[in-house]
Amino acid sequence: MVTANAVKIDDVQLQKPSRPLIRMRAVSKTYVTASSGSVHAVDRVDLDIADGEFVCIVGPSGCGKSTLLRMLAGLDTNDGGRLLLDGRQVTGPSAQVGVVFQAANLLPWLSVRDNVSLPLRVGGRHISSAQRIDELLVMAGLGDFGDRYPYELSGGMQQRAGICRALARDPRILLMDEPFGALDALTRERMNMELQRIWQASGKTVMLITHSISESIFLADRVVVMSARPGRVLKELTVPIPRPRSFDTIVSNPAYATLASEIRGLLNAEGEIE
Amino acid sequence: MSEAKLHLDQSMLDQADENLELEDAGRTAGDAAEAKPKRPKAGVNGSIIAGIGALVLFALWVLSVRFLKVPPYILPAPEAVLNALWSGIAINPTDPQGYYVPLWSTLSNAAIGFGIGTGLGLVLGSLMAESRTVEKLLMPYAFALQSLPKVAIAPLVVIWFGFGAGSKIAIAALLAFFPVLINSFTGLRSIEPERLDLMRSLSATRFETYRIAKLPNAAPFIFAGLDMAVVYALLGAIVAEFLGAQQGMGVVITQAQAVSDVAGVFAALIILGVLGITLHSSVRRLERRVVHWAHRGKP
Repeated sequence: MVTANAVKIDDVQLQKPSRPLIRMRAVSKTYVTASSGSVHAVDRVDLDIADGEFVCIVGPSGCGKSTLLRMLAGLDTNDGGRLLLDGRQVTGPSAQVGVVFQAANLLPWLSVRDNVSLPLRVGGRHISSAQRIDELLVMAGLGDFGDRYPYELSGGMQQRAGICRALARDPRILLMDEPFGALDALTRERMNMELQRIWQASGKTVMLITHSISESIFLADRVVVMSARPGRVLKELTVPIPRPRSFDTIVSNPAYATLASEIRGLLNAEGEIE
Repeated sequence: MSEAKLHLDQSMLDQADENLELEDAGRTAGDAAEAKPKRPKAGVNGSIIAGIGALVLFALWVLSVRFLKVPPYILPAPEAVLNALWSGIAINPTDPQGYYVPLWSTLSNAAIGFGIGTGLGLVLGSLMAESRTVEKLLMPYAFALQSLPKVAIAPLVVIWFGFGAGSKIAIAALLAFFPVLINSFTGLRSIEPERLDLMRSLSATRFETYRIAKLPNAAPFIFAGLDMAVVYALLGAIVAEFLGAQQGMGVVITQAQAVSDVAGVFAALIILGVLGITLHSSVRRLERRVVHWAHRGKP
């Protein structure tokens, strides 16, 4: 086990390019709301994410982790620091980035196929690649459900379609905002397995936001723990557990218990502030 | 503006039926449960209740004519009304004495007015939803127009458009306009921010966002407006006919009234009532087909 871990870490080190795919330097964000004045959501976050890396961000609710993701997705602007994607300043939504929203966010009036192919039909794109969409649907186990409507699908299937949609433009980066938060525990574990498989097959760079400690350790190469508002990076923890991981074996891995209790300790300390 | 919003909500609340469907449409896709049982349809039950209601009404009518001796110039006997109905129906369709010629005249005028009014309502409602400037510019006038009693404007419209089809179409359009204007405006504005985030994350153009996300999202609202508009358009055409026309169901009624043919008036009203129900249920049926997602797969 120890040797396997060592090999894994070495691999990551070797693969790491000189320039990280995502680079955040002193990123800050303050909201001004009508009801509660200004809210300092994100405070001087420094974070690098390497090409092909899977990073999970955990933190207490309202810690600005969603804001961080929205800024990377180009849906919100940062008012301090620098946000770079592949060396370029983020100025707005990019085709290099696929976003997976909370609760799937499928359009109920479009069939599953039309939802998944939506990114290929808007924003100046009119690519008809039925084959690619079919491949994506098959990969996500939705091969027979392309002509169904979202209301005919279970929550887990809907979110799989949501992931397919985010992959439609073949982006380099996948940003996932608590994608499985609305699912029951069992479906959630299954979706984590699926996501690990999809990630390993596609080689995307993933930043996933979650409030589940077990989910973060299961999925991530690196877990980033954020503080309560204003959100700062408290600690980055590398997960030295070999892949493919499964929930059966991961809990018996001593590294899992160590990481889980460390993350829990950090979050509990923050919880008292809230 | 908040006052206007209040008005909007009120106009939505007025349609008790539609509200259920609106809520349905408003639900996000994510809250769906694992299993998807198809709900049994409650339509059969509904038509039984409606049938019983009609029978009770008919019985009350017969009883009040027979035993309370209500004079026929107030409440004609059912037989007299049925006779009048039959003489209008069992007739050569081209005979102007029957219902077909006036019905066609009224219906075609109402339909053209419906098309113009709802089309304008959708276009202006969309412009108002997309632009705060247009909203501020038009909303006060829309409400001013709506708060005027249409029957009072009708004579003016007749002066402008004459006694021909023009005034009928204009008043039908005027009445059909407002519910679609307000409902499309409200529906387009009611889109969830997550859906807009999605379209933005895909760098969708403004028109793509409108066409793919906002308009379908507003469809249940727009159909609720169309449902009202279709009946209003019919109403508008008939009101215009009352003020002066060569033909139409409004003329049939005024002519029967002129010779104190109360049974004839009743018969014409029954025709119009049946027509109203038919138009309403056609819109509902169309809505169920187009906005199928809001009904969660119910037939």
